[in-house]
Formats: sequence, C-alpha cells, structure tokens
Amino acid sequence: MCSPALQEGWQPPAAECAALIRPFQGRATKRLLLPLFAVAVQSLSGQDVPRLQARADSLVREWRRASALADMVDSLDHARAAGGTDTISVGALRIVTNPSPARLREAASRAWPVIDSLYGTEARQLAQRPYLIAPYDPDTTSPKPTLRGAIQVPWDQDVTSLAMILVTNVPIGQPDAALHNWLGGLVVPIVRPEQARAAVYVQLVTAPSQAARSCFLGVMNDCRNALGLAESPDPLRQWYPSVGERRALVVRSFAEYFGYLDHGARKPTLQSCGAGSDAACTELLRSLPPGVLPRPLTYDARAALVHIALRLGGREAYHRLIATPALPIPQRLAGAAGVSVDSLVSLWRAEILAARPAPVTVPPWGPWVALGWTAVFAVCALRSSRWRVS
Amino acid sequence: MFDVILYTQWKWSRLIIVLGSLAGFALPIVSVQGAASGDRGALAAGALLQTVQSWGVLYPVLAAALGLLVAIATWAPDHRGRHVHALSLPVARWRYVLLRFASGATLLALPILAVLAGAILATWSATIPVGLRGYALALAARFALAVLVAYAVFFAVSAGTARTAGIILAVIGSVILLQIVASVANVDLDVFGELQVAVLNWPGPLAIFTGRWMLIDV
Repeated sequence: MCSPALQEGWQPPAAECAALIRPFQGRATKRLLLPLFAVAVQSLSGQDVPRLQARADSLVREWRRASALADMVDSLDHARAAGGTDTISVGALRIVTNPSPARLREAASRAWPVIDSLYGTEARQLAQRPYLIAPYDPDTTSPKPTLRGAIQVPWDQDVTSLAMILVTNVPIGQPDAALHNWLGGLVVPIVRPEQARAAVYVQLVTAPSQAARSCFLGVMNDCRNALGLAESPDPLRQWYPSVGERRALVVRSFAEYFGYLDHGARKPTLQSCGAGSDAACTELLRSLPPGVLPRPLTYDARAALVHIALRLGGREAYHRLIATPALPIPQRLAGAAGVSVDSLVSLWRAEILAARPAPVTVPPWGPWVALGWTAVFAVCALRSSRWRVS
Repeated sequence: MFDVILYTQWKWSRLIIVLGSLAGFALPIVSVQGAASGDRGALAAGALLQTVQSWGVLYPVLAAALGLLVAIATWAPDHRGRHVHALSLPVARWRYVLLRFASGATLLALPILAVLAGAILATWSATIPVGLRGYALALAARFALAVLVAYAVFFAVSAGTARTAGIILAVIGSVILLQIVASVANVDLDVFGELQVAVLNWPGPLAIFTGRWMLIDV
C-alpha cells in the first residue's frame, strides 16, 4: 500500500510505489520472500472473504486515485508541450497564463508602477516569481483550464479588477516571521490609501483602548504603544491600562471563549470579571495564548506606518526593511525610512489625522440636486391630467 | 389666499404635524441616551457611534412618512369633493396647485424645526467623547431635504388620477415581469440593479435618503 506516503507529501504514485518495491527486487530478497509468501498464503486461507474483499476494494480505490493523478500530470505535460501557456512580461512582472482574450497585459501595465514603487529594487525578484493566472470563459459550462495554483478569473473581467487582483496578490517573497507577526500580514500595496487612512482615523477615535485615544490626542509614546512598537514585558497593561477597558475586552471579545474553555471551568472567573473584579479580568486575559490579545489598532494602522517608511526610504527601503530580521521592528522601520522612529510615528499620526473621513455623506451639490428633484415632482403635479380641460 | 389654504391644510393635517414634530424632537435625544454618562472614557466612543447609527435609520423613515401623510392629507378633501370647489375658485389651476404645495411644505417646517431643536439639545446635553463631534445642523438640513423630496414625490402621485396611478403601477409591474423573464431565460439583465443605482445613488431622486444619518460622528 502506498497511501501512507501519499499522506505525507505528494509524489507521483507510480514512482512512489516503485520506490517501495525496488528493495525487494534482488535475488536474495526473492529467497527470503518465498517462505514468507508461503506463510502468508497459509494465514490468508484462515481469513474470511469479506475482509479480503475490503482489501481488494481499498486497492481499487488507490489504483483509481493514482490513475487520476497520473492523468492530471499527463494533461499538464501535454499543455506545456503544446505551448498551452503564454508569459506576459511588464517590468519585472511575469504572468504565466493560458491563451485568452483577458486584458492581462493592460492590467499588468497598471499594476506594475504601484508594485514597483512599493518594493523598489526588491521588485526585481518578481521576474523569478510569476503569477499563475488561468482566465476561463464565463459563458460556457466547459471545464475550467487546469493550471495548478493559478488564480482563476473570467476572461471578460475588466482591467481595473484584473489590476486589483495583481496588486493584492503580489507573489513576492514573504518577510521574516518577526515582521509578519508584528504587522499581522504581508507587506502589500494599499489599494485605496485614503480610505485606509480614514479607517485608521476612526480606529484611533473609537478603539476601546486608552493608548489609541491618547495617541489621537497627541501623546507620541502612546502612539508607539498602540502600534505595538514599544518594548514592554506586559502588553496587557500597556494597551489596556484601565479596569474598564480590560473588563470590556473580556466581556465583548472573549466571553464565549472563556465560557466554553475547559468545559466551562473558567465560567466563575468570567462571572467575577463581569461583576467588576479586575483581578479576574486580568487573570483571564493573561491566560490567553501568546499573540491572541488583540492589539489596539489593526493591520491597516501598522501597514500605513510601513508604507510611510517605504515611501520615505526610497527604492532601497523595502530591501533594508527585510534585510535586517534580527533587529527590533522600530529599528528596522527607522532604517528603512532613513529617519528616527519618533519622526516616522509623528508623520504617521499627522497623515492619519489629515485623513479624517467626511462625516456627512451628502455631496456638496447634493442639496441642489434634492431641491431640483423637489421642483421636478412639483411640476409633475402641475401637469396632472386631473387639471387639464378636455 | 395662501393664508386660507394654509389654515385649512393645518386643520386637515395638524395631527400628523404634531405627532411628527414630537417624534422628530425625541429621536435625536433618544439616540444619544447612551452618552449621558461621561465616565466611560475610551469605551464610550465606539458604542455611542453604534447607537447613534442604529437610531439614525429612523430619520429617513420619519421623513418619508411625514412626506407621504402630509401629501395625502393635502389632496384628500379635494379628491372627496371631486375637485368641484377647487375648480370653482377664481384662481388659475397651476397657482392653486402651487399654493397647496407651498402650504404643505410650510407645515412641514414644524417637524423639521423640531428635529433641529432636538438635535441641538441632544448634542448639548450629551457627553461626547474626544474625537467625536455633533452635527445637529447638518442632520436637520438633510432631514429637511428628505422631507421635501418625499413630500414632492407623494404630492405628485396624489395629484394624479387613478389612471395615472394605474400607469405607474403598470410600469413597476412591467419592470418586475421583465426581470423575472430575464432570470428564467438566463439572460444577463439586471434591471433592478440598474434602477437601484439610478434612483438611490447620486444624483438620483432618492439619494438623499441613503447613507448614514449620524447626529454624532468623527
């Protein structure tokens, strides 16, 4: 049986089975196998038919699975041999795709400047990391093209959407774990920077954290706290310093978790927390697994900071950021930006505050439009057939 | 002439106007009840915004209801009298309609002022967390425009004959039928979506009703 190996990692089934059988092909092995086979035949005679049937069925299933995999490999080889893929190059972007009317080149032309401006010199690595995109005909029920790991898109998708897909799925090498953990994701282009900054503004005002609110009011040290840049042995006290914040965090975000954890063993503590015991709330929050305690600000806030650093640092900024994984995040950001962390955070705060979202959703000309429609409907009433003399 | 029409219209629709004014005055005050206590600090902002947003749904509903009811009340006596009185008056018909429209709009100023007063009182009395602001005037202005648009729409519909109403209903029914047929025939035709965009997005006639109605916002 080859199935245990299949579970560990995919290999062509035939090769895998051969690898298992090969050691038994020697003459000496045959000598050993013959008595074993005789013993096995004797023991088999004692087994019942249903058990043998089950084994045979299992083998048939494995054979079918192996055949399907072999067919898939064959079809891919055929597609490659027949020149079934195109490669589109724009800048350092490479898009491997199957022939279709999809406007991928135009989309790549739009996406490349955005990607290049973010990653700078590191964007060169994209020449070795192509996108795999498999456009399909949206109007038929024929099977979609088989390109493993490819992003499937309808070929009539508009250029803007395609460019968005390229920008948000950049196949650039992942940063180190420290940067990834701090940021909470990958460094990718921000599609709508104004809206993202406006969302961070709202977070600063509404986040249930003293650090975020103090940052909004101008306490720069709290901005560093809220962004997770300050080294602290106790992030709980740093991010949620007041009793009310800790209680609200438990009650709003973790009540269900603690209610069911260990078959409800934490329920009494949860109830004490809800009743106002700060010790109980703190105990519960400290019992959370590492990295689970929610940070005051989300990915958007930290991504905005990284983008400002990369913008300030020029084309080599991203390279400098990822080239020093051993350094603390603040130093890496400062190194990438070429300015101190305090300056960087100050600039971040200034940009966020400048992006205050418009509170009223009516456009400036909206009142005139509304009055215009009022006049139109009033004129409709004047023209009512009830008033016409016929 | 306007005074007389205004007075008669007040008599017909005073209950609607009074109740609408009370509701308009109470709505902003009720929506910020959660902000009465100022000791919740950073926790208050998010919760307050959620509460204000939840109550905000009622502003366009109130505006539409006021427009509808006042427009109906404006024309109901004329419809009952089969317009004999109106036609016997020594005024041009267009002038008569304008007087009716203007008097109804004037009466609707009362609930609009009530909303403004309630909003000002609410923002003044509430403890607004740092970073948030009150938008009493903007909210009242938007409410006024929504009331006017709703009133104009229903005024026009109400001024029409049963035949006109039938035509409007037939058009709406045709659109629904077309959409159903297109769905059954698997034709890529989204009439509802297009209509929704045209009517509810700017510069559509009902765009003033859409979006967030926030008395307190960032």
